[in-house]
Amino acid sequence: MKKTLYYLAFCLVAIAGSSCSKIDNYPAPSNTLKGSVMDAGTGNTVQTETGGRGTRVKLMETSYSSDPTPYYFQAMQDGTFNDTKIFAATYKVSVEGPFVPLVLTDNAGSVLSDNSQNVVIKGTNTVTNLDFKVEPFLRVDWVGQPVFNADSTVTVQVKITRGTANSSYQQDITDINLYVSNTKYDGSNNYDPRYSKLTSYSGATGTVLLGQTISITTAGGALPQQDVYFRVGARINAGLDEYNYSTPVSIKYP
Amino acid sequence: MKRYIYILLTILAVCASACRKLNIPPQNIIQDPDVFSTPAGIQAYMARLYSELPIEDFRYSPQRGLNFFWIISPTPATTGEALSRDQTSSMQENLGGWNWDIWSGSYTVIHDCDYLIQTLPSYAKNFTTAQVNAWLGEAYFVRGMTYFALVKRFGGVPIVNKTLDYKVGTSTDALKVPRSSEKAVWDQVASDFDFAIANLPAANADYSDGSRANKYVAAAFESRAMLYAGSVAKYNNITLFDGSQNQLCGIPASAASAYFQKSYDAAKMLEGVYNLYLKAWSATDKAAQYQNFVNLFSDASSPESIFVREYKYPNSVHGYDAYNVPRQLIGPNGYSAEVNPTLDFVEMFGGVPKNTDGTIQTLDASGHYILYNNTMDLFANAEPRLRATVILPGDAFKGQNIEMRRGIYTGAAAGGISRLLPAGSRSQYPATNLVQSSNASQTPFTLPDGTKMNPAGLSGTFTGDQTCSLSGFSVRKWLNPNLPTSQVLENNEDQTWIEMRYAEVLLNRAEAAYELGGANITDAFNIINQIRSRAGATLLAGAGSMAIDTIRMERRKELAFENKTYWDLRRWRTFDKEQNGTIYKILMPFYSSQAGKYFFDSRTDERNDVYTYDPKWYYEQIPQGAISKSTNLVQNPGY
Repeated sequence: MKKTLYYLAFCLVAIAGSSCSKIDNYPAPSNTLKGSVMDAGTGNTVQTETGGRGTRVKLMETSYSSDPTPYYFQAMQDGTFNDTKIFAATYKVSVEGPFVPLVLTDNAGSVLSDNSQNVVIKGTNTVTNLDFKVEPFLRVDWVGQPVFNADSTVTVQVKITRGTANSSYQQDITDINLYVSNTKYDGSNNYDPRYSKLTSYSGATGTVLLGQTISITTAGGALPQQDVYFRVGARINAGLDEYNYSTPVSIKYP
Repeated sequence: MKRYIYILLTILAVCASACRKLNIPPQNIIQDPDVFSTPAGIQAYMARLYSELPIEDFRYSPQRGLNFFWIISPTPATTGEALSRDQTSSMQENLGGWNWDIWSGSYTVIHDCDYLIQTLPSYAKNFTTAQVNAWLGEAYFVRGMTYFALVKRFGGVPIVNKTLDYKVGTSTDALKVPRSSEKAVWDQVASDFDFAIANLPAANADYSDGSRANKYVAAAFESRAMLYAGSVAKYNNITLFDGSQNQLCGIPASAASAYFQKSYDAAKMLEGVYNLYLKAWSATDKAAQYQNFVNLFSDASSPESIFVREYKYPNSVHGYDAYNVPRQLIGPNGYSAEVNPTLDFVEMFGGVPKNTDGTIQTLDASGHYILYNNTMDLFANAEPRLRATVILPGDAFKGQNIEMRRGIYTGAAAGGISRLLPAGSRSQYPATNLVQSSNASQTPFTLPDGTKMNPAGLSGTFTGDQTCSLSGFSVRKWLNPNLPTSQVLENNEDQTWIEMRYAEVLLNRAEAAYELGGANITDAFNIINQIRSRAGATLLAGAGSMAIDTIRMERRKELAFENKTYWDLRRWRTFDKEQNGTIYKILMPFYSSQAGKYFFDSRTDERNDVYTYDPKWYYEQIPQGAISKSTNLVQNPGY
């Protein structure tokens, strides 16, 4: 009787022990995918905002299916991206954001052109560089530096031009906004509503400003004495209506 | 030995007979014949279908979903109709939050409809043909409503018109039904409603009080759904195709007019069957017009109510009054004033002094505040419908004067009072010359004549807590004026929710008519004036002065706080235009101690809550869990 008990106990320990020893975890991903999303016309990276309304990278693991569930990660607001936890696999990579889509379809859903890039990532701890050349809907460029006015408001000057000649993306400009924030992560999702100057345009009233030097002054009176960053965002009514941005600039309180 | 044989034989006999008896249906599971053989069984089945019907009623909010008791991020606070302390920005529906499983929940309802549609015909001999047709019609109606609830959120969704039977051990591929095109789903909604219209009687034989569908109910919802589809076809510009070129998001613009026509025709079916509520109305008496509009929401015999959801304490309850009474009528639960109409909303109405740009007039020609003896003087000529929708500062409710005041201004009044802040400023009010209260326990201020006055009104506005009116207004619609304050509790109210009333059907028809254009515009004009006349508003001069915005604004005023505007802004695709870095406006009444009179300051929300609607929200995110289970589902753009 006692002997049986010992046998059983021994078996239990053996089973418990062996079940634990077999760790079937897949090794953590260690490859890096980095690169930038560049304006095909100027070579500058395309400025966007942080979070869901900025540029994101789309990975399709195509080795097992031509139509897999995509994996996305967000690019940084300056148009570069860097993901250090990518599994080794075969990917079709594209980017989505405020620019002419890399995959263009017609009204019936047929693919007209596909500028996605295919990349095979093998091994561990590798670094893969991918650059995408895109046509942003709009380019927002500074004209000079922001200027502190006598009443402690700030006036900036920008010039907005189209970044694409694609006839499907020549919609009217709907918004030109001067965003004020106390960090450089300044955009439509993060700004100080007291001082930012938001302007919406209807019809072609915004579009006629293309190519001109536009002056925008902060709203709400004197700016407080603290770090301040300025950024101008503009958008057309295309895709998901995301903004194209200037670079963020800061000036010292005089 | 013989004994053993006998014993074995006995056991064998017992076992054998026992086995025969096992072949009976399980007694603890309700079988089809139990449900489908008697009217009572069908009624039980219908009770479930209707309770799961996806309508945005007293128990809905975008934050917590359908059929949830806790409504402290109310729908109007996401649309610009109102401000609320717990809702401080635009939002998409929180699908998946608070146990709200819209995907599985909807497909369970669709399954239950499919099951009844497949099963009932084989039990038809127990009932009359009229009964069977009516019940089938109701199942189609509920299914159409459920597809409508899905397509307005997600665009194209899988169409499953047959229950899926899974045999254990077989492949699950057949269960992974892909999304159909958005157009196909709208057409499915139309065909389900069309079937319901064809098969339902004019009055529901089981319940004719509007809580269950009849053919006109189906027609009314068809007019709503088809208007939605037409608007998407006309105004949407987000598209998504799957690999087989089905358009999952968006409808070709060429389909718009057919949908508008269908909406128009469906709405027209109700003409003469239902009517606008006019029981207490008088053409000449504004007080009667006000009372009439109030009564419309509580009169059980209203000829305007088409489809309702009834509540009954204690089985089925909501907490509308508890959450929404003005602060001074706060119930024992401690909630109040969750819905505070914005000045943007109030400015839509007529009868209030306005500047040339349509904003409310609070300043005289020299830029000083206009002074009033009472806060209600500003609204002396306001449209009666506004008073019935919104509690204005100083108006009476439950026998009390609902006091809303931001503070007492102690500065000089001789020669006029200038603006407290520059126009457009988003700063706090300067504290000099201003006596304010941080909460409801106030320290009375002694006025120059020696009398005492609380700095803020009994219903706000307070600077320290937000249990008060945040905007200078409080919601009036739906509130029960006869509910004693001790009964103003959560889960204690049982007003009936009117999901569909004839005014909406008329507005659907007017909008569809205007979108169709041509000779139909006269019809739209006549309808808008019908609505305006009942509301006590001034009538439109002529059809030529009408624009699509005239009709849309009329709709927003008429159907405000009925959880309809949220969906209207979505289908017009104007949500992102209206909520584009927007801070909504409020109207703050002040008392000038020097002048002994009141003045109003129009400004933006003091909390500086910014509303920005992301256009990708026009198509909600398909729940990730649904995609994991059914990998053929394609996600909507941007998620």
